Amino acid sequence: MPPTLNPIDLVSRINRDVERSLLRARNGVRYVRGTHAPQVGATPKEVVWKRGKAELWRYRNDAVRFGPPVLIVHSLVSRSYILDLRPGNSLIEYLTNAGLDVFLLDWGVADELDADNDLARYVDFYIPRAVAAVKRESGADEITLVGYCLGGVLTALYAAGYEAAPVRNLILMATPIDFDQMGAMVAFLREGRLNAEELVDDTGNVPADVLYSGFYMQAPTTEIAQKATLLDNLWNDEFVEGFQAMGQWSRDHVPFPGALFRELVEELVRKNVLMTGAIRVGERKIELANARGNVLNAMAERDNVVPPAAVEPVMNLIGDPARREELRLPGGHVTFGTGRSAVKHTMPRLTGWIIEHSDELPAAKES
Amino acid sequence: MSAKPLWLRAVIRLERAVGEPVEAAVRTDTYFDLMSKATRTTASAKRKVAGTSTRALHLLNLPAGTDVKRMREQLSRMERRINQLSERVEELD
Repeated sequence: MPPTLNPIDLVSRINRDVERSLLRARNGVRYVRGTHAPQVGATPKEVVWKRGKAELWRYRNDAVRFGPPVLIVHSLVSRSYILDLRPGNSLIEYLTNAGLDVFLLDWGVADELDADNDLARYVDFYIPRAVAAVKRESGADEITLVGYCLGGVLTALYAAGYEAAPVRNLILMATPIDFDQMGAMVAFLREGRLNAEELVDDTGNVPADVLYSGFYMQAPTTEIAQKATLLDNLWNDEFVEGFQAMGQWSRDHVPFPGALFRELVEELVRKNVLMTGAIRVGERKIELANARGNVLNAMAERDNVVPPAAVEPVMNLIGDPARREELRLPGGHVTFGTGRSAVKHTMPRLTGWIIEHSDELPAAKES
Repeated sequence: MSAKPLWLRAVIRLERAVGEPVEAAVRTDTYFDLMSKATRTTASAKRKVAGTSTRALHLLNLPAGTDVKRMREQLSRMERRINQLSERVEELD
C-alpha cells in the first residue's frame, strides 16, 4: 500500500511501528535467551501401552463419531510431535476434532538397549502388540493404520505379513519404496562408499547428529533466509512461536538403532529389495501384495527427502490393486504434514478419506 | 502477512543465488565420494590418536578411553541379553 499523508493514518502507522519495535525487542531477547519456548505435542493424551521405549498414546476425545480407531506409526528418524506441533497446526488435533479415535505409536529415544532392534523387532513385535492394545482399549475389531515415512514401510510390512492383521485402511504417507530414487538422502550408503558399520557409534546406534547432518546438508543455506524472515516477523508472537516449534523439531533428532540401520542399508538401499515386491523379515518372506485393507498412498509433490518417484511404486506393489488410491498433496516432506499448506490441504483431505472409509458410530461415545 | 520488505527480498534472492549451486554441488557423485573419503580419513586419524594415547596410558598401567568404550559395549550387550530373557519370561507368564 503506498504511503499516505493523511494525519490519522500517519499516527496510526507510527503507533503500529512503535508497538512492533517493542514486540521485536521483547521477542528477540526471549528468542536469544531461549525462554518462552512453545509447548509442542500439546493435544491431551495418555499412555495406554508401553514396551521398552515404545509408547502407545491415546488422544483424549469425548466425541468419537467414527470407527475404526486410527493408529499412527511414526518414523524412527525423527520425533513424533511433528504431527502434533502446536494447537491449530496438528494433524492429531485435526483428526481428533473430526471425531476419530486417534492413537500414536511413539518410539522414544533409542539408546544402547535398542541397538539390536531389527526390522523383525518392529514388524513382528512392537506393531502387533500395539495393534492389540488399540483393539483392547477401543473395543474395535479393526483399525485404520497410518505410517509416516519409515513408519509407512513398517506398517506396510505388518499389514502384508499377517493374514489376520485387522487393518481396514492402510495409509502410507511419504513412504519410500524405490530406494534407487532416494537421491542424496542415501547416496553416501551406496556400494563403494560408506558402510553402515562406519556410522554406528559405541552405543551400537547411529548418532542423532549424523542424521541431523544428513538432513541439514540437503539445504545448508536456507537457515539464512529463515532467520531473515524471522527478523522481519519478530513482532508477530504467533509467527515466532511457530518458528521456534519448527526449529526445535528440526534439531531434535534421535539415535537410530544400529541393527535396523544395517538391515535397511543392505536390503533397501543397496539391493532395493522392496521393488521386487517381497522382503525377508526375520525368518519369513513377506509379499507386499498381501497387505490388508484399502491402501491410500499419500505423497508430497515437492518432497526432496522422499521424492514422489520413490513413493509411486506403492501403487504397483502394495495391497490389492482394486483397493489402491493415490493422493498427491502440495508441500515438502515435512510441510505436507505440518504448517499452513498441511492445514489447508493435507489434513482435510486425509481426514476426509479416512471418514469416507470408516463407519459412523451409533452415538457419540465417551472414550 | 504483508508483502516482504525490500531488504528481506534481497536476502532471500542472495541466499538462493548462493544456495542453489551449493545444493546442486552437494548432490553430485563427486561430493558423495569426497565426503565418504573424508569421513573414513577422520575416523582413521581418530583411531591413530586413540591408539597412541592408549599405549601411553597402558605404559602407566592406567585405563584408556578405548578400554572404557569396550567395557561399555560389553555391558550394553549384557543388558540387551538380560532384557531379551526378561521378555521371554514375561511372554511365558
